[in-house]
Amino acid sequence: MTMSNAYIDDFPAEAKLVRTAFYSSFLALALGGVFGIIQTLHRTGYYRFIDSADYYTVLTAHGVFLVISFTIFFLVGVFTWAITTSLDRGVEDLRFSWGWYGLMATGITLSGVAILAGFTDATDISASVLFTFYAPLQAHPMFYLGLVLFVVGTWLAGADWFRSWWAWKQENPDSRIPLPTFMVLTTMLMWYIATLGVAAAILLFLLPWSLGLVDSVNPLLTRTLFWFFGHPVVYFWLMPAYMMWYVLLPKVSGGKLFSDPLARVVFVLFLILSVPTGIHHQYLDPGIAEGFKFIAMTNTMFLLLPSLLTAFTVVASMEHGARQRGGEGYFGWLTALPWRDPVFTGMALAGLMFAAAGFSGMINAGMNINYLVHNTFWVVGHFHLTVGTAVALTFMAVTYWFLPQITGRALWSRSVALGQVVLWFVGMTFMSNAMHRGGLLGVPRRTAEPQYDGFEFEAAVGSMGELQAQIALGGILLTLSLVLFFANVFGTALNGRSDELPANEYAGTLSGPEDAPLVLDNLKLWTAIAVVLVIFAYTFPLLSIVDRGGLFGPDINPLPVSLETVHLLAFVLESHVTGTLESIAWLGVNR
Amino acid sequence: MRISKAGLLVVLALLAPLLVELRTVLSWVNVELTVLETAVVGAVLVVVILVWAFLPENGDGKTTEGDVSSEN
Repeated sequence: MTMSNAYIDDFPAEAKLVRTAFYSSFLALALGGVFGIIQTLHRTGYYRFIDSADYYTVLTAHGVFLVISFTIFFLVGVFTWAITTSLDRGVEDLRFSWGWYGLMATGITLSGVAILAGFTDATDISASVLFTFYAPLQAHPMFYLGLVLFVVGTWLAGADWFRSWWAWKQENPDSRIPLPTFMVLTTMLMWYIATLGVAAAILLFLLPWSLGLVDSVNPLLTRTLFWFFGHPVVYFWLMPAYMMWYVLLPKVSGGKLFSDPLARVVFVLFLILSVPTGIHHQYLDPGIAEGFKFIAMTNTMFLLLPSLLTAFTVVASMEHGARQRGGEGYFGWLTALPWRDPVFTGMALAGLMFAAAGFSGMINAGMNINYLVHNTFWVVGHFHLTVGTAVALTFMAVTYWFLPQITGRALWSRSVALGQVVLWFVGMTFMSNAMHRGGLLGVPRRTAEPQYDGFEFEAAVGSMGELQAQIALGGILLTLSLVLFFANVFGTALNGRSDELPANEYAGTLSGPEDAPLVLDNLKLWTAIAVVLVIFAYTFPLLSIVDRGGLFGPDINPLPVSLETVHLLAFVLESHVTGTLESIAWLGVNR
Repeated sequence: MRISKAGLLVVLALLAPLLVELRTVLSWVNVELTVLETAVVGAVLVVVILVWAFLPENGDGKTTEGDVSSEN
């Protein structure tokens, strides 16, 4: 009997942890998907079986389950795999690892129950505050408490991975940080900085407000603190997808990563630039000076650099792989790529969609052109290409590689898997294209019924009805794709143990870490620069917001001053002075 | 076949963004297609691609380098 060299064979205990994190992630994906198709059919008017007031509960569940639970549970699994595989050592203390997983699971359960309780009147618990949970929308304290536990769980997970690295460093003092570990550590450093904003928003303001400990909050302050976290969180989702494009895609293409140093530069740039950009979500917020918004725009545009570097490096790696497989010519090598492999095809299509997402993202990031699409359906189209495809499709594609590694069972059906990733690409093409075009017509996002009496959106090409149909068609194809995905997950889980699994390996490099300057591994330096940039970008806007609106809102200011008050004070003072003068004059006359 | 089955599937999938954007692009030159006309154009393109894909290369009916992928 041949023994395989899969991850589960080398790290059986860690494989169980990764498997549990993945299954948690898939449960969230299933829930989020169900709410996705409900809202698609409701909004487009094809099938409405919920009350429109409940649409926002559905929307919150769709958002939170997908972009918090699905993505982050999956990435903690990927990061655990990356650390243990690239350092070639198990976690330092398995009980600690299960501890952070337990904290995350408890937290998201509390938040999820708070959201789902919004569907029933049997309890006053609800949290229909959307994924962007800033004031003035208020949730039950259980929602915020759950989020706190979840985020603390991710912090502890990061501590776990740093602990592994430190232990490894003691034994390998002169070695470069292995690339997957480097990616995990830089991503977590970014996450620690980014989550300070959401921790402050929840612990200082939203939770005390929800508990009734304070009467009000400053909505602009909670919005700004949310976006302090709300933009970098997209890189928290994206970085594991990037990691897969760097360390797995070249391997399944049949080649090697083009450049390890470039990959390190990309992750350093994301560590530095991810956080001081959040204000670009607030271009239309009054109360933040245009200059601060301009700084955020500049930082955001710099973020294009690591994405373009990634596009170059990943495509170069794929080309290398294709040429190893016999591909020739300027474009002929494309036919030599392993399109039969769903792991490759899913990631390649996800990367292609991400290119489109980058272009629509540039529109969002431009201060002036953003006004055209702000809060419209365009933005929804954009993030269904980023987190909904670049991230989600990559995660689903690599699941087909990971499942055998962490279960020890062969994939149930590679053909179904290939059909699934292609179907996701086609479905998202229909849906996100119509969303972008709808946004250009001014169709709002977050609206249960975007049909108004006496008003017609005028489509430049086709009609609104056609756009709605395209969205519904896309939503149905995406749902079918999810069904195929889960069929494969269940089918694989029910398979017998296989002894002929591929080895647990990631891509080698054409230009390795020895070509990367040592300074790239200086995590303290990059973290310090990241903190300084955050201070530059946020200190003055935050001070200005607190100065104008108070920490807890204008009503709680000790000295409420407004123009009306000034008029009143002037009138009282004038009357008083006039009266006094008249009295003096009267006394003088009568003396 | 001139291309692997998986490669053909991906090529057909790539038609989706091409077709949905085609209407917008053509409208710039004042050619406005209805949904039905777009679907017909799509069907014609699918047939053309299928005919191309299933025609034997050089008349010998052998598979091409595209099928290298099926070894994976």
